[in-house]
Amino acid sequence: MKEKILLFLGADWDKSLLIGLPIALCVLVTLFLDFFGFEVPTALYVVDGLLILGAFLHFTITQGLVTYVFKRTGEALVVVMVIATLTFLLLRLVPGGPFDQEKALPPEVKANIEAKYKLNAPIYEQYFDYMAKLAQGDLGESYKYIGRPITDILAETLPSSVQLGIYALLISFLIGIPAGVYAASRHNTMADSLTMITAISGVALPSFLVAPLLILFFSFYLEWLPPALWEGPEYYILPIITLGVRPAAVIARLTRSSVLDVIRSDYIRTARAKGLSEMVILYKHVLKNSLIPVLTFSGPLVAGVLTGSFVIELIFAVPGMAKHLIQSVSNRDYPLILGTTLVFSLVLVFANLIVDLLYAYFDPRIKLT
Amino acid sequence: MRAVLMSLLSLTLILGTAGCTKKKKADYDLDIATTLRINISTEPPSLDWHKSTDTTSALIQDNMMEGLVEYNLTDKELGLKPALATEWRAENNNQTWFFTIRKGVKWTDGQELTAQQFIDGWQRLLTPATAAEYAYFLYGIKNARPFNEGKLTDFSQVGVSVTDKGELKVELTSPTAYFPYLLTHHSTFPVRLDVIAKHGDQWIEPGKIVTLGAYTLKVWDHDKAIVLERNEGYYGEKAKTKHILAYMINELSTALNLFNAGKIDAQTQLPSTELRELRKRAEYRETGILSIYYYGFNVKKPPLDNPIVRKAISHAIDRKEVTQMLDGGQIPLTSWVPPGMFGYEPNMGTEFSPDKAKQLLEQAGYKDRSKFPKIEIGFNTNDDHKRVAENIQAQLKRNLGIDVELKNEEWKVYLKSLKTDPPHIFRLGWLADYPDPDNFLNLMTSYSENNHTRWGSKEFDDLIAKAVGLATQEMRAQVYTEAQKILTEKDVPVAPIYASVAHSLVAPRVVDFPFNSMQRFVFKGVSLK
Repeated sequence: MKEKILLFLGADWDKSLLIGLPIALCVLVTLFLDFFGFEVPTALYVVDGLLILGAFLHFTITQGLVTYVFKRTGEALVVVMVIATLTFLLLRLVPGGPFDQEKALPPEVKANIEAKYKLNAPIYEQYFDYMAKLAQGDLGESYKYIGRPITDILAETLPSSVQLGIYALLISFLIGIPAGVYAASRHNTMADSLTMITAISGVALPSFLVAPLLILFFSFYLEWLPPALWEGPEYYILPIITLGVRPAAVIARLTRSSVLDVIRSDYIRTARAKGLSEMVILYKHVLKNSLIPVLTFSGPLVAGVLTGSFVIELIFAVPGMAKHLIQSVSNRDYPLILGTTLVFSLVLVFANLIVDLLYAYFDPRIKLT
Repeated sequence: MRAVLMSLLSLTLILGTAGCTKKKKADYDLDIATTLRINISTEPPSLDWHKSTDTTSALIQDNMMEGLVEYNLTDKELGLKPALATEWRAENNNQTWFFTIRKGVKWTDGQELTAQQFIDGWQRLLTPATAAEYAYFLYGIKNARPFNEGKLTDFSQVGVSVTDKGELKVELTSPTAYFPYLLTHHSTFPVRLDVIAKHGDQWIEPGKIVTLGAYTLKVWDHDKAIVLERNEGYYGEKAKTKHILAYMINELSTALNLFNAGKIDAQTQLPSTELRELRKRAEYRETGILSIYYYGFNVKKPPLDNPIVRKAISHAIDRKEVTQMLDGGQIPLTSWVPPGMFGYEPNMGTEFSPDKAKQLLEQAGYKDRSKFPKIEIGFNTNDDHKRVAENIQAQLKRNLGIDVELKNEEWKVYLKSLKTDPPHIFRLGWLADYPDPDNFLNLMTSYSENNHTRWGSKEFDDLIAKAVGLATQEMRAQVYTEAQKILTEKDVPVAPIYASVAHSLVAPRVVDFPFNSMQRFVFKGVSLK
């Protein structure tokens, strides 16, 4: 059995399998338990985290990428600092302040509030104060949610966004990649056209249209699933589909075109001439080399999906972070805007770093320096 | 290596299967039969009743706390009834007030309510460091304003004290007939300083907060839901429904979906585009609220510096056409005080008359319409505001032959514009803080922060100041009529458009849902079938 699997995957996948399989299993068990509404023990998350970190370190060290990772991490921090600074300054340029409201406040009251939040201090003072606190991991208190630390707000809302995001990513990769490979392998046939028409529809349909359609059909016509809220597996399904459908479609299209490129190359012809089965050719030799465009797309995708989608969180009443990312701007809640922006940029920067490492993993010809 | 991995893997699986318990369900194990499920739209910004300023927080606070007096929600004009004060009286021409504190009221930790806890609360509200927005609610009290400004640091000089008889005595700077109304507001509720001292900013969390109303705070699942539980130690008649589960669902259509799916029992805001359909349903309910929608004129910007032009424009707007277009049950309004309150004058103001409008415009020297300068209508970005502005733009073209441009801005940017350089004509609204005409007319005084028209009239200011000192409602109503005439017929710095209504859906199982014109949702009288 093992020989068969190895034959299918090839010798170089043997090691990866050894590391990858337990990780994938652990993560899947965690996701499975979480999805079906079990209280997942923290230890399980810790084990998951350690395994992933271990694999990451193992890869970094064996490939001699330690300096590279350090360099990139340093750069990432600089980028995040620059983003924090720009956001801070831009906020002060936007007209309208956090305490401007329909029922105007008497100047005395406004003065008290500005004194409390130090908004009456010169901008550079506010900036250095903010940065000094930021360096200690203190993001300040929200203006709108009076007295609530930004870190609390993020800690309470980010998990739901991440939870929704991971499931959506999972289904978009699980559907998108096989669909792309399938369409490419049936190039110029009816199956190919149908798959791609579906994919293009998936790209073209905005989530604010997909969501109500799904709700109408599954919640009110079939009465299978609840129309909103975030209380258990039956509640997760519709938001996950809505969030996952677009990336799945994009991934399918990217995979297809890239597989088509690779499939015409000489070494594939050689593999065919050797008499390898079509499955082995497609999933072992072609796929691995076709994943680079998908990876490129994945960096921003992961950041966008993990930090939540405003429309989907609103429509399905998911208690996530995206709502704050948008509404804090309308409220001019400076600390919350900065907090959510920083989380978003951190995830984006590190997702891109991981994507770059994965390039090297999938295509050893790519040299990271 | 392999061994380590395998052991980690098995550890995971063991932990995963053995260490798991079923997660707490998000309905918080409540029995639906005894739980009223509502939607409060958003996370309450704060349950600290001295710091919050929004209606969501107020809804929760009003159900777990009480003030000296409360609205009689069964009275259409919203009279007052005793709450933590058993009786009250005014002396010195409505300038000094005495409140007798109810005996035997217990906080949820068993301590008894005292008059001092009101003074503590008011001192906290007025202390500059608290930075409470509603501090100005008490500015009518002697020395409250200088104390809040930090000019006075000795609170004993502020006009609130406990008399020898144990009454709470409040001295005001000027006669104020409506003063007891302010005491229904959460910012004037008593507070337990010892609780705040013990827990700091966290004192409003369940398990820490100490209250005395009909409900207590059981769960506050941030950004998701709040659960209130009946307070068995409540001094009055106990709440009829055991629990209130308040979801925080932002999107109106989502809330509507959940109502349709039977997941919530009441939704007190509905998408305006769906009203036509929803109106046909048995669960639908329309309630007049004390809220007006108006167009203000910047009286410093020509040609609107001329009252005749303003009057012409106001005569040229058919309010009925606007409300019919909106189709939400709004009441066309030409007077300033809305229906449901004394002082409402349905026939006051500028009636719709294109002939009169044209005549006035010509009288102002614009016989040749091409000489009429381009003017702007400003509004904050919102579909309904846009529909109203477009309708009025068309009406002014049709009825008066003048061109106006529309300009929308994001809310905070718009507020900034109103403060610095208001457009010729601008949209705004006002929702009553207390059900008294003073709250609406005060808005247009020359010293009001909310008067963006740049208009001011000493005559008007004097009338408003005079009215609050008068003894009877009839006498006050007369003065308000005079003031409203100046506002809507003589100087016309504003054109009222309509009085708003609230739209709600309430499930048939809910009995005695507290519909009222102040949108004060106190649920202790609600029962479930």
